[in-house]
Amino acid sequence: MAKTRLVKGGVAFFVLALFLLPLLASLAFAFQSGFSAEGWAALWRHPQLWPSLWLSLATGVAGTVLALIAALLIVASLFETRFWQNLSVAMGAMLAVPHVALAVALSFLIMPAGLIARIIGLFLQWQTPPQWVTTHDPFGIALTLALVLKETPFIIWVLAGLLSREDVKLNFANQRSAAFGLGHGSGSVWLRIFIPQLFGNLLWPLVIVFVYGATVVDMSLAIGPTQPPTLATIIWADINSEQVAHNARGAAGTIFISFSLITVLGVAWALTKTLKPLWRALLTEGPSTWKVPTMTGQIKHSSFIGIYALLLVLLVVLSLAKSWPFPQLWPETSFHSWGQISHQSGAVVTSLVLAFTASGTALILLVAWFETMPHHFDRPLLWASLALLGLPSLFVGLGQYQMFLYLGLTGTGLGLFLAHLLPVMAYMMIVLAQGYRAYDLRYMVTAGSLNASLLSNLLRIKWPMLKAQIWAAFAVGFAVSVVQYIPAQLVAAGRFSTLPMEVVTLTSGANRSLLAAFSLLLTVPPLLVYGAAALMGRSRWRHT
Amino acid sequence: MSLILENISLTIAGHALLKPMSLSVDPGEVVTIMGPSGSGKSSLLSFIAGDAPQPLLGQGKVLLDRTDITGLRPEQRCIGRLFQDDLLFPHMTVGENLLFATPRGPRVEREAIMRTALKRAELEGFENRAPHTLSGGQRARVSLMRALLAKPKAMLLDEPFNKLDAALCSTIRDYTFMHLKARQVPTILVTHDRADAPSGGRIFEISLSGELISV
Repeated sequence: MAKTRLVKGGVAFFVLALFLLPLLASLAFAFQSGFSAEGWAALWRHPQLWPSLWLSLATGVAGTVLALIAALLIVASLFETRFWQNLSVAMGAMLAVPHVALAVALSFLIMPAGLIARIIGLFLQWQTPPQWVTTHDPFGIALTLALVLKETPFIIWVLAGLLSREDVKLNFANQRSAAFGLGHGSGSVWLRIFIPQLFGNLLWPLVIVFVYGATVVDMSLAIGPTQPPTLATIIWADINSEQVAHNARGAAGTIFISFSLITVLGVAWALTKTLKPLWRALLTEGPSTWKVPTMTGQIKHSSFIGIYALLLVLLVVLSLAKSWPFPQLWPETSFHSWGQISHQSGAVVTSLVLAFTASGTALILLVAWFETMPHHFDRPLLWASLALLGLPSLFVGLGQYQMFLYLGLTGTGLGLFLAHLLPVMAYMMIVLAQGYRAYDLRYMVTAGSLNASLLSNLLRIKWPMLKAQIWAAFAVGFAVSVVQYIPAQLVAAGRFSTLPMEVVTLTSGANRSLLAAFSLLLTVPPLLVYGAAALMGRSRWRHT
Repeated sequence: MSLILENISLTIAGHALLKPMSLSVDPGEVVTIMGPSGSGKSSLLSFIAGDAPQPLLGQGKVLLDRTDITGLRPEQRCIGRLFQDDLLFPHMTVGENLLFATPRGPRVEREAIMRTALKRAELEGFENRAPHTLSGGQRARVSLMRALLAKPKAMLLDEPFNKLDAALCSTIRDYTFMHLKARQVPTILVTHDRADAPSGGRIFEISLSGELISV
């Protein structure tokens, strides 16, 4: 008895000390550093404050709304077709592609000297790049496009996860049959029956997407507007500045943008309340034979896969380019970028070591947690994890940095590891909790009644049955760790370099080949781990 | 070998679920305990098996073969269980499910035991099949065989025939009782359907006030 109590205490201590406490303390530190009178005065005097805030909010809102519409159209037209099974797999792979790498690749596609311009130029006999403003455009259109490309798969993944649950699937299939019998077409069924029921589950994912889009730094530096830039990048420059006055302004800006986002969310909430009567009227309008256009869903779904594949190929080709003068469709190739990387592999090693150790540690801690703690103890951890995902990473990153400064952890390997562990654990908690807790404990009772010891029960029955969920959580944790930019950059304090830092640094330079190579290095490990996890988690029966 | 319950009572959150009761189940006997859902019949089985969930408090002794097993961990008690669902482990073949329960020993012997069990389940040659490819009746038979392979000193059946359709139900019921009797395993069956009880067996009911009454 004393032994189990010791184990439980140990597990609770580690989870609290490595996850919950640092998270709460970070928030406190962020607030504390964000309330200096000088900082706020300087922020109000900033000439680009309002236009850049507007840009941030507009790209965030546009990216979220467009991604939601695209995701709903795709899901509605593919639900229960033969493409449905593969949808989650494809979306998972797209989720593993880092945001910043996607933005870099997209900019190579659409920039004036990019692939699209070259293909058009081939027909129109262009000799010089066109005068396009397609990347870093003043309206943030390129940034919005990149956000839509990246967030649509996320929303589809959330929806597919919900709709793949056996109970939900059966329920929906029955409801659909009933609605068909009442004379409703498939489009009407989605609009009037499915979407209203799914919407509650989509709210928080949409908040996460919006907050991410409106405060993203690395993507914005790669493809976003520059005159003025988005507010997040202005704040980021301030936080990283050598001047203390700028730091204070950046901290104030972090609080300011966070409250601006809350205001927007409040307005959105009020809007849905006022529009509810209209929505009700639409719901009860009566049968309509409107169908979901199935073809467009297939086209959109395949075009997403196509664009992702094209962007990856583009990164590969560009990483091999020695020089690539404008009208040519194919560059002069060499391995010089890869040669250069092989001489400075520090960032690669650091990123990989961090990703494996952070997701491995998080997995051990979480499994230990689930095995020793009662179900209802999950709630505070889940709330904290969801909160972390819905908070601007500038806000958490700043607080964490201040806390680590106080503890003397900045510039240390331990600090860097802990900074990665926090978001990794949050994501893995969310991915793992439901499946792990849904496990039918009677299987364990049965195995126990067949004289299996606890260890044998876990090793031979429970964990093998949960292997798909466990491996998926590991892959998600790995991908989350690899892409950490804001906390990594701040906590590393110039002593360490990770892949996203290299990529962001290179976005402001002229060496596109090296930028492409580093973007690929950022993309390939999470994709490989995702693939390996899917393979390891596969059921041994071909079809289940 | 008999299963003896001595002065067992159950409380949940301060509320008495089952008043002190004693019961002795003889080798090969199937005692049926009935009661509406929530009456504590499943909780009683959990207490006997030693895996009662947290808020449930139980008192009293469980004796197997005149040995007190109340302090033992669930997997040390040698008490087999069957539930409403067959609970075949989905990641193992039918044969592996049976081997999982077969006591340790030379591989060849264990496989022979497994095959004999399959034959008894009228499922010869099914060892490499995935559980989900079997019919409900086949799965129920494998589940019973698996439980018996572990050489249980007592069996607890928690409405195991509940999810089977009517025609299958009586076949599986007779099949189960026949094998339990053949092995002289003392058995407690809980159910809300009187038809589940073997003919001539003792039947008890848990009353609303938590008393065990002979019917």
